[in-house]
Amino acid sequence: MASIDIANIRKSYGIHPVLHDVDLKIGDGEFVVLVGPSGCGKSTLLRMIAGLESVTSGEIRIAGKRVNELAPKDRDIAMVFQSYALYPHMSVANNMSYSLRLRKVAKEKIASVVSGAASKLGLDPLLERRPRALSGGQRQRVAMGRAIVREPKAFLFDEPLSNLDARLREQMRAEIKKLHKDLGATSIYVTHDQIEAMTLADRIVAMNGGFVQQVGSPLDLYDRPANLFVAGFIGSPGMNFFEGTYRNGQSPRFETKGGVTIPAQVHAELADGASATLGIRPEHVEIGTTAPDALKATVDLVEPTGFGIILHLSFGKAIFKAFTNDRAFLKASGEIPVRLPPERLHFFDADGNRV
Amino acid sequence: MAYVARQDGLHARRPPLMKRIADGAAPYLYSAPALILIVTVMLVPLALGVSYAFRDIQLLNPFSGAFIGLDHFRALSQDQAFYRALRNTLWWTGASVFLQFLLGLILALLLDKPFYGRGLAQALVFLPWAVPSFLAGLNWSWLFNPVVGPLPHWFYALGLMSEPSNILSDPQLAMWGPIIANVWWGIPFFAITLLAALQAIPRDLYEAASIDGAGPVQRFLSITLPFLAPTIAITILLRTVWISNFADLIIVMTNGGPADRTQIVASYIFTQAFKRLDFGYASAIALVLLALLLAYSMLIVILRQWLLSKD
Repeated sequence: MASIDIANIRKSYGIHPVLHDVDLKIGDGEFVVLVGPSGCGKSTLLRMIAGLESVTSGEIRIAGKRVNELAPKDRDIAMVFQSYALYPHMSVANNMSYSLRLRKVAKEKIASVVSGAASKLGLDPLLERRPRALSGGQRQRVAMGRAIVREPKAFLFDEPLSNLDARLREQMRAEIKKLHKDLGATSIYVTHDQIEAMTLADRIVAMNGGFVQQVGSPLDLYDRPANLFVAGFIGSPGMNFFEGTYRNGQSPRFETKGGVTIPAQVHAELADGASATLGIRPEHVEIGTTAPDALKATVDLVEPTGFGIILHLSFGKAIFKAFTNDRAFLKASGEIPVRLPPERLHFFDADGNRV
Repeated sequence: MAYVARQDGLHARRPPLMKRIADGAAPYLYSAPALILIVTVMLVPLALGVSYAFRDIQLLNPFSGAFIGLDHFRALSQDQAFYRALRNTLWWTGASVFLQFLLGLILALLLDKPFYGRGLAQALVFLPWAVPSFLAGLNWSWLFNPVVGPLPHWFYALGLMSEPSNILSDPQLAMWGPIIANVWWGIPFFAITLLAALQAIPRDLYEAASIDGAGPVQRFLSITLPFLAPTIAITILLRTVWISNFADLIIVMTNGGPADRTQIVASYIFTQAFKRLDFGYASAIALVLLALLLAYSMLIVILRQWLLSKD
């Protein structure tokens, strides 16, 4: 187990920069999730930590030791790949023991470590099989088994659940979390799935366009997104945004471009008349309210998900969504009263940063 | 079950005879055109060739053609030239296949890594394959010729030869001439097929192995080789059969000489058939070569099955 320090890391392919000054300190035993859309540089960062990509500038330290120039095999890390990357011509047991055999570990030790990992992952009856005779979930387990037998300084996961179906993904997600609890190993996990990020992470690193957007606990990112990107990326269904102007004065309020006035709390950072973006999560939109400051919104579409209902609403041209568990809204149509509670509103300035 | 029951019910009223014959013949009629074509194009010449082996067929003797049983094979078993040709075939095939494979594999590994101008290099590397074998043979025999070619002079300058002479006329070395030409000509085949196989290996396996602690040699042994093994087996099998039948270069470069030192079975057949015009004897030799190659192929197939079942 070890800490990982990433200091001012940059990466370019030729003249194309893909990572800009990434700074990150990962504590011993911490589970950090790098999340972001495709092409945001999260996998590149992970592969640089693994030693599969060179570092353009900056420094990576594992357990305080600079590893920029070390080959992957000398960094003492383990990695789980999206494609699993199991050796197809080796049995499950040989896949798991390959790294130990390369290190010339004693046979008895290998056997005990492999059987220990196999029983932890429920792979005992499969040890003699080839990877092609396994299901997706079983392959995923073998890939994890291959990582844990070595007791490395850190685990790296590169979208390990992307190739599984939704049900299995949920199950493996829980297993990874349990495994991390058992082993307490420093882990870096890359995903584009914000649910995985929210459920697994001690800390989330949200990335976009090669920049780190926000680092914090899952609820930090959910409750206090640092900018429009994080606000829009975390949460499902995504946060609603309205563009418009902030009005200060007797009763602070927000006027949308469509001319709807929404009462707000005081935001000293925003000047009167400053253009801004207002955000509110769908589950925070109050619908069917009898409050006196309610607004009228048109119901465009009703999406039942079983767990709840997503209502597609609009103020004129400004469309937004509301989420409710009240099944009475299944039959909603026409105009309904809507309230956007001032304490639930997020404000972002003209540059998209939270105020 | 319902289907069977209905069939039984219909059994009482059988369809008319003509219809039954037509139904029965339909599959054969459909496949007939292809079968007839295959039989006339492939089997008839083969059977004819095999039959020559048991007949006395000499083009210059209009009264030949009689059935003579196993006479050719009896003569063959006494034929020292044939045994020498057999040994030469082994030497020619073994050395050519081994060197073509080794150099082809090295070339494929080099071309698998990205570098500037790789596309051009690949195109150039595959060029020898496009050269007609007769042209390749002529070219190399000139290269080895001290009057017009540079190679003897280079060998001499390097101290490999005491004088710039033609290795094709040296009984000890003559076989190396066609072998070198054959290796030059045949490397692209191995390079192309092995490169294709190499590029089909998922890159993340190498990454996983390097994280697992494997160096370049271990990655080659535990990933590249197992992945290439089926391709290697099949290409070596193909090339072995091919090269042992491949007399073009030898005919062009040495014509079997000097003193039959480069005579392989295939060129011996050619000499018997087209120089001595003894088609019967040539067919008998060809039949023996066919049997040997079939036995070799069966051996490889059985070996492969055994290896697969051992897994």
